[in-house]
Amino acid sequence: MRRNHKLGIGLVMLGAIHVAVLFAGFFAPYGFATQNRELPFAPPTRIHFVDAAGKWHARPFVYALGADPANPEGYVTDRSVTCPVHFWVEGAPYKIAGVFASRRHLFGVEEPGRIFVMGTDAYGRDQFSRFLFGGQLSLLAGLLAAGLSVALGMVIGGVSGFYGGWIDEILMRGGELFLALPWLYLLFAVRAALPLHASQAQIFLLIVGVVGLIGWARPARLIRGVVLSAKERNWVVAARGFGASDMYLLRRHVLPEAYGVILTQGTLLIPQYILAEVTLTFLGLGVGEPMPSWGSLLSSLQQYYVLASYWWMFLPALLLVPIFLAFYLAADAVQEHLKSVTL
Amino acid sequence: MARLVLGRSLTSLCGLVAFWVLVGTAGAPARSTEELVITDNPTGRMGGNLTVALRSEPKTLNPVLAVDDPSRDVIRCLHADLIHINRETLKTEAALAKSWEISTDSKQYTVHLRRGLRFSDGQPFNADDVIFTFQVYLDEKIHSPQRDLLVVGDKPIAVEKIDDYTVRFSLAQPYAAAERIFDGIAILPRHLLEGAYRDGKFSEMWSLAASPAQFAGLGPFRLKEYVPGQRVVLKRNPYYWKQDKSGNRLPYLDQLQFLFVSNEDAQVIRFEAGDTDVLSRFSAENFSVLQKEEASNHYHVSDLGAGLEYNFLFFNLNDLSSKGKPEIARKQAWFHDRSFREAVSSAIDRAGIVRLVYGGRATPIWGQVTPGNKLWVDSALPHPQRSIDQAKELLRSAGFSWKSDGALVDAQGNPVEFSILTSSSNAQRTKIATIIQDDLSQLGMNVHVVPLEFRTMVDRLLNSYDYEAAVMGIVSGDADPTSEMNVWVSDGETHLWNLAGKPSTPWESEMDKLMREQEVTLDYARRKRLYDRVQEIVSQNLPVICVVSPNILVGAKDRVGNFRPAILDPYVLWNVEQLYVR
Amino acid sequence: MKYLVRRLIHAALLMIGVSFFSFALLQWAPGDFFDELRLNPQISKQTIEGLRVQYGLDQPLPERYGRWLRSVAKGDFGFSVAYGSPVGPIIGVRARNTLVLTGTAILAAWLFAIPMGMWAAIGRNGWADRICGVATSTMLTIPDLLLFLCLLLLAVRTGWFPAGGMMSPSAESSGFWAKAKDLAGHTFLPAFGLAVATLPILVRHVRAAMIDVLESPFMRAARGHGISRSRLLFRYALPVAANPLISLFGFSVATMLSASLLAEVVMSWPGLGPLLIEATLSRDISMVVPVVLLSAIFLVIGNLLSDLLLFATDPRIRVE
Repeated sequence: MRRNHKLGIGLVMLGAIHVAVLFAGFFAPYGFATQNRELPFAPPTRIHFVDAAGKWHARPFVYALGADPANPEGYVTDRSVTCPVHFWVEGAPYKIAGVFASRRHLFGVEEPGRIFVMGTDAYGRDQFSRFLFGGQLSLLAGLLAAGLSVALGMVIGGVSGFYGGWIDEILMRGGELFLALPWLYLLFAVRAALPLHASQAQIFLLIVGVVGLIGWARPARLIRGVVLSAKERNWVVAARGFGASDMYLLRRHVLPEAYGVILTQGTLLIPQYILAEVTLTFLGLGVGEPMPSWGSLLSSLQQYYVLASYWWMFLPALLLVPIFLAFYLAADAVQEHLKSVTL
Repeated sequence: MARLVLGRSLTSLCGLVAFWVLVGTAGAPARSTEELVITDNPTGRMGGNLTVALRSEPKTLNPVLAVDDPSRDVIRCLHADLIHINRETLKTEAALAKSWEISTDSKQYTVHLRRGLRFSDGQPFNADDVIFTFQVYLDEKIHSPQRDLLVVGDKPIAVEKIDDYTVRFSLAQPYAAAERIFDGIAILPRHLLEGAYRDGKFSEMWSLAASPAQFAGLGPFRLKEYVPGQRVVLKRNPYYWKQDKSGNRLPYLDQLQFLFVSNEDAQVIRFEAGDTDVLSRFSAENFSVLQKEEASNHYHVSDLGAGLEYNFLFFNLNDLSSKGKPEIARKQAWFHDRSFREAVSSAIDRAGIVRLVYGGRATPIWGQVTPGNKLWVDSALPHPQRSIDQAKELLRSAGFSWKSDGALVDAQGNPVEFSILTSSSNAQRTKIATIIQDDLSQLGMNVHVVPLEFRTMVDRLLNSYDYEAAVMGIVSGDADPTSEMNVWVSDGETHLWNLAGKPSTPWESEMDKLMREQEVTLDYARRKRLYDRVQEIVSQNLPVICVVSPNILVGAKDRVGNFRPAILDPYVLWNVEQLYVR
Repeated sequence: MKYLVRRLIHAALLMIGVSFFSFALLQWAPGDFFDELRLNPQISKQTIEGLRVQYGLDQPLPERYGRWLRSVAKGDFGFSVAYGSPVGPIIGVRARNTLVLTGTAILAAWLFAIPMGMWAAIGRNGWADRICGVATSTMLTIPDLLLFLCLLLLAVRTGWFPAGGMMSPSAESSGFWAKAKDLAGHTFLPAFGLAVATLPILVRHVRAAMIDVLESPFMRAARGHGISRSRLLFRYALPVAANPLISLFGFSVATMLSASLLAEVVMSWPGLGPLLIEATLSRDISMVVPVVLLSAIFLVIGNLLSDLLLFATDPRIRVE
């Protein structure tokens, strides 16, 4: 009973996250590149129901922000004009999945108000919108890298465990070699070889793809372990006795045993690759401006003045916690489900 | 103003010795024939320690080989030069050389050294050390990065010994910045290094692995210890040749300690926490953070105004016929058009960059010489206000037009789209590029900012020319225009936008002529006119579109005395011998 | 014995492979060490070329690799082009600093993980288990970077801990106990962060392994015999549950030099991490390769250690 609970919760959370990110244009009030040069590092906008005169409004509203004459870095709220929040508004145009154009947004405020759910960054860009749009690239990158790692790991681990002997030795030692090398140089070389005018997103995904391809060693080891034990199972031996070819055995009988492990590993790898993005950005291999990604949002935190003065810049990092939790819950649930089935 | 004290006396030598014993305090008693420099700073307290942060470990303590900033920071405290550039006035002053005469053809400098001085290990200093020093610096097999500074008119300067305290330098041609080339050439102790040099092992001397006893120098401090990965500690040099008005032998400090703190944020944190006493050149965002805690943490931070750094946007104007890059070559048709560059410059929101990237702590610039360089800035240069309309006018006149969705297209109908490279390790330049990108989008241009790892970017800029535009910055090594020769002269190696080695436009030829002429003109007023014309050419033709110069921001604990930061490197330690702790 | 020899031969081959491929990868990456000088208007191209030739950066890959191999055979691990001095002492000090940090963190993590995991396993599905589950899930999902940044902020804001580094400037001259206290103060936060980062996985595995063992027949039999609870746990259950834990321990040892990279960078700990990053970015291959090799050696030692311990402790594994 508890198993299904975990799986259910995890899947629902994951589903919600993916929907929110896919329809980022709809859920976000602004575009990801819209700068508000008068409002850098503005704190999250407060929603009010009661105005300065004490009147209660059914529709929530916000106040506009203005520069504070006393403090060049602070803001003062202008309480004279209430800017109501509207739902299902028309706003900046966007495209869903690059295909469907629309102008509808879930919510927005009347001018001159701005609604910054998570505050703004150094250029006055809405962090909430950037977080949603950034998820598109980051989740895709995580899925891609994890998928490639696991796919390659499946092939190599499967072959290695199934055939054993010297093939196994070579492949596993090769795996150790892969783990030890400084891959950063390869990434620099790949980046250097790419043309400048390829789309930023394409370049980024290519780099992440290479990172994923490099990371086959750990999944391969685990899958090899499963294959080693699976190939001695009765039905496999029986099938072999019936004259099944190696390929058939691998495909039909042995690898399916490993699907659980593969799924778990893959799910666990996705958050790791999303975080690896932060390192890539830090080292000059991240996505170019103004495209956001979760990694670039996080990397702004590495600067002390941001850390010390602007608490809302932590929010993307904090939001990652429940997102990663969803992945881990799902992976956990799959693992427990597996255990109960195979024992 | 430094005055000389002649210690020689024909009368009672004992009386003189007694006089010096009374006058000199800590450290070695001054010998009767020592010619010291008397400084005019306020008298400080003897004793105390000062702790400074370095951005990374120094790589070597060999002045001839040191290339990186942390090494040079430490080396400057250990050694001295013949003629020194005063960082505050930006003019030269006598150091180890007490005076010099220039020949009538301006090609020979006869330098008289101070007498009676000693290295930090007690050995005497004389002309042999100077001859040896220049021999090493000029040795081609040693590949000193400073050798190029000593090459005038394509010939290295010649050094000859006249007597034990007189040296003559001969240049191939008159050189306006002749005195300035001596700054930073550390005078080496012949008695310690000549043996290794003869054996060909000079490059291995004075690495960080050497023990302190192997070092000696004429600087205010000497090496005490080096803890790998953590700090290097210097202690006062009792033989240092400067004295304050009250007769105290400088430096005031007993100990100077350099901590290795790997990045700027960590430096700011440790300064705030009280681990370090001075903070040199930090970024604008941290300024406001530090300013808030000034009173409670007993330090103060200051904004010195514009320094010598200029950040700029430039386009790839290289000849790409042999490189085979048709895409970029096609776009170069836009870049070569001066109206295009003018339009870009007109659209850039310099005030916005100053505000957003530097929190107001920067100066907008329209030419390569910043207002901080008071001796050379051309104040007559126009500073046009930002105008999108004017930019659009310029583009229209150049044959560009706009589609219905606002996108800019050229005369052939191709959309204007290009990328700007920046170094990913430099957050500010990336921010500048992002703002420029947004500015140019208002003109209908589709611009991408591509942050690249530093060496990848350098490879593209200098080797493969595989880029369209880039945002870069240069920190001038000196206020004098001669330090920028390689940038503005067509065959210079940092003539970034066009590395073909010869001028491709008439204004580039004119700049070549002007720069070479100012190099040999000794009269300041004439040089200023020549260099003003160069600044005009740059500002009109825009080979580089200068955007902003960050202000020099420094900090020091209240207890640090005689703290007089300057806008030229080393910003806070240039007068380290005068610093003291209350 | 034959097994050991075989493993050592593999290790040697691995070292050669790692060093060769590291050199090869470096050649592919654009730029070299002296590129930084090229943007300095006051240094000429000839000087830079001369420096390049002096350090052999203009030679083709096989020659450079051959030279490096020959110097290693002589016992000298190469000359860092950045430091202008032999690489050995520099790396030695940094490696020692890193091991101090990771050693403390691993010790702390394991000392907490085993009791916590056992506690959760014993009270499985009860409130103890749930608390453990929530705690480990939270610790697992916090990005490491966020964790270390928060710890840094904590140190600066409260002043309870030093804000980075390994030793206070003043501690050098004090006595032994003062130095030890100073070191402990500096080590606390980064080690704490590292331990928190590795703890959850350990706890989960300990718990899973203990649950497996506690439900097995022989445990039930032992309980039936009336053996006391603590003896049951420590003398009967734990040794059997040790199998996966030993693999994990080997993994801990294997990553001793690389796990602390983020901690060292954020908290300015003078270890191998910042050295490797700086050397990698500045293309100082003679510094990068020995560090990479050192990490590879630890990898091999970790794997070997866990395999040998498994042999020694688990009689079920005798087939090889």
